[in-house]
Amino acid sequence: MASLRNVAVVGFAQAPIVARDAHRIATEMLYGQVRAALDQCGVERDAIDFQAAGSADYLDGRPFGFVAALDVMGSWPAKPDLHLEMDASFAAYYAWLRIQAGDSDTALVCGYGKTSEGEPDRVLNLQLDPYYQAAIGLDPTSTAALQASAWMARSGATDRQLAALAARRRAAGARNADAQLREPTTADELAKTPWAVEPLRQGYLPPVGESAVCLILAAEGKAEKMCDRPAWIRGVDQRIELQTLGGRDLSRSAGAKLATERALAMAGLARAADVDVVELCATTPAEELILCEAMGLDAAGSRPAINPSGGPLVGNPVMMAGLIRLGEAFRQLAGRADGHGVAGARRAIAHGAQGHCLQQNVVWVLGDERRWT
Amino acid sequence: MDVSRQAAVLGVGQTQHASRRADVSIAGLVREAVDRALLDAGLEHRDIDAVVVGKAPDMLEGVMQPEQFLAGALGAHLKPLIRVHTAGSVGASTALAAVTHVRSGLFERVLAVAFEKQSEGNAMWALSPNLPFTQPLVAGAGGYFAPYVRAYIARTKCPPHIGPMTAVNARENGGRNEYAHLREPMTLDDVMNSPVLWDPIRYGETCPSSDGACALVIGSEDVARRTPHKPAWIRSGASYAEAMWAPGRDQVSPRAGKMCAKAVYDGAGIKNPWKEIDTAEIYVPFAWFEAMWLENLGFCDVGEGWKAIDRGEQKMGAHLPINPSGGVLCTNPIGASGMLRLGEAALQVMGRAGAHQVDGAKTALGHAYGGGSQYFAMWVVSDER
Repeated sequence: MASLRNVAVVGFAQAPIVARDAHRIATEMLYGQVRAALDQCGVERDAIDFQAAGSADYLDGRPFGFVAALDVMGSWPAKPDLHLEMDASFAAYYAWLRIQAGDSDTALVCGYGKTSEGEPDRVLNLQLDPYYQAAIGLDPTSTAALQASAWMARSGATDRQLAALAARRRAAGARNADAQLREPTTADELAKTPWAVEPLRQGYLPPVGESAVCLILAAEGKAEKMCDRPAWIRGVDQRIELQTLGGRDLSRSAGAKLATERALAMAGLARAADVDVVELCATTPAEELILCEAMGLDAAGSRPAINPSGGPLVGNPVMMAGLIRLGEAFRQLAGRADGHGVAGARRAIAHGAQGHCLQQNVVWVLGDERRWT
Repeated sequence: MDVSRQAAVLGVGQTQHASRRADVSIAGLVREAVDRALLDAGLEHRDIDAVVVGKAPDMLEGVMQPEQFLAGALGAHLKPLIRVHTAGSVGASTALAAVTHVRSGLFERVLAVAFEKQSEGNAMWALSPNLPFTQPLVAGAGGYFAPYVRAYIARTKCPPHIGPMTAVNARENGGRNEYAHLREPMTLDDVMNSPVLWDPIRYGETCPSSDGACALVIGSEDVARRTPHKPAWIRSGASYAEAMWAPGRDQVSPRAGKMCAKAVYDGAGIKNPWKEIDTAEIYVPFAWFEAMWLENLGFCDVGEGWKAIDRGEQKMGAHLPINPSGGVLCTNPIGASGMLRLGEAALQVMGRAGAHQVDGAKTALGHAYGGGSQYFAMWVVSDER
């Protein structure tokens, strides 16, 4: 493997997830986060060498929605920049590659988009193959239900187990000030909610939510000056799979499995279970269980702690839910997770995903110590 | 910085471009370019370590993040993939993102793919964004850019025949490019007599709507030394973006373009681009932009760009052949147009541009821009390291 640079997450700011911010457009929501992340690091925008963003035109319902974000990211004078039409966790991945390439030491990564501007189920239908799958009206709730059915059929998981998992995440969400769902509830209550699409009940799924996020990466030498407890990136890998729903085993996530293996190998760790905290970008309880199996995690165990923030089940702003996982891992390692902090957390895994049925996955391994000397 | 890895273009592939490629699906169109690039590089899908996909707004085809359904056709299953969208510059910034993958040291061979299948949708609608707090007056890209063309003419006293001259030259070049969409010659009169679409931009000075794709294989130095064809060495590359509403921003000659050009020339060790660059493929969607970019890119001083064109220095066989492929004025599959500029620059220094080869081209510039003249992406390629 090539010699790699030590790079850390040194700042992270997130707008609390809400169903609809009726008073601010996406860039206004983002501006406060850019400002807050820079302030955390004690720097101004001239300290940033590169910037990357993740968003999707279709969420805004207009082309080039990302262009307006340049104004609030501080692109004056111009900055080296790349916009990805992806969840912003992949923008962070690209920013990390830029720092590895050696032409940047610091990077600002943003995720934004107003999910409430449209109907996500109708918008995300357009991600499917236009010739064979989009036209039959599949939406992400339906495809997630297909995946949940496949998982339950293979694993024997029950409706009751999905309800219990969703209830645990709701309890965690009550401790996270940025979560959208902050009212704890019981598995009994959730199991009484009607089907969204069988076997997924409405109570197991996150509501429509929107936010804006900004995360700052810095290479060794600068990271220590920008943050008293940087979260060092020890390994990262990402993989896409075929979209074709009939072309892959929906009860498994081959991409998350491979990305985890590669990221752990880069990090010099044998097992995912060797970390203290895991943040999974799972938008249904079944997805979370599939990811746990793919990554070699005990979904019912107490260590590592899984989704202490509550995860996307208590707030799922599309195109940034993955980057929030990386930000949450940073908060845990930097001692900034406040009410949902995991005591003694020194290593973490952050997972990001996009597409129907966990089509694409990115896995980050972080630690409170540098990986390479 | 202590890290400085080289990267090179190993293979170039593009489709036949046309207003409507009804013979292929979106996947088929993309695959046509990918197969040609892999064949050119002497590689198979299994040799590719990562895939970078670019295209302009998803509204152009009506498929959100189409790289997700294209993952199979791209041979990307269980590989790393990113999708880039930087407006009109996207094809170029996609190629540069592939270069970053190689220069990170983690990837040996990366496939960059860019496409647009404009016949699937309505580009005029998709390129007429309704910006917050702004009157919805923009009618397509030409409606947006026409005021800046007028400003250039007013500032530099550029005479009215410069746009038509540029358009005629582009068609002459496109006639020699077997892949170009528009290859029929035009006369100055043809252009002058064509209707004005957005004052002063005439129909004959406007790029077409095309279906097309382009693919490049970018490799590490180690791989490039073993490739079947002579590679194009990427001497430097950069992408810059600037804010939309910054006070003092000049859209006639944007600061982001100047900064990007300086970064690329500095990286390539170029002090005088007019003397040291043999040919350039630059993003000219409306003919007048050729003169504007000659100034913004530092080839000419302010007010001198149109004079270089008036003297014919941009023609094949002259001092600095611009867009020997015919450029965007002959072929505009929007998402792919920037990658075509970079790929054509690479073909020139590889000596494999066919009938539109510039004799003895050793160093070439590829350039693209996008947004409201906000996004710039460029590279300089050479026949030697």
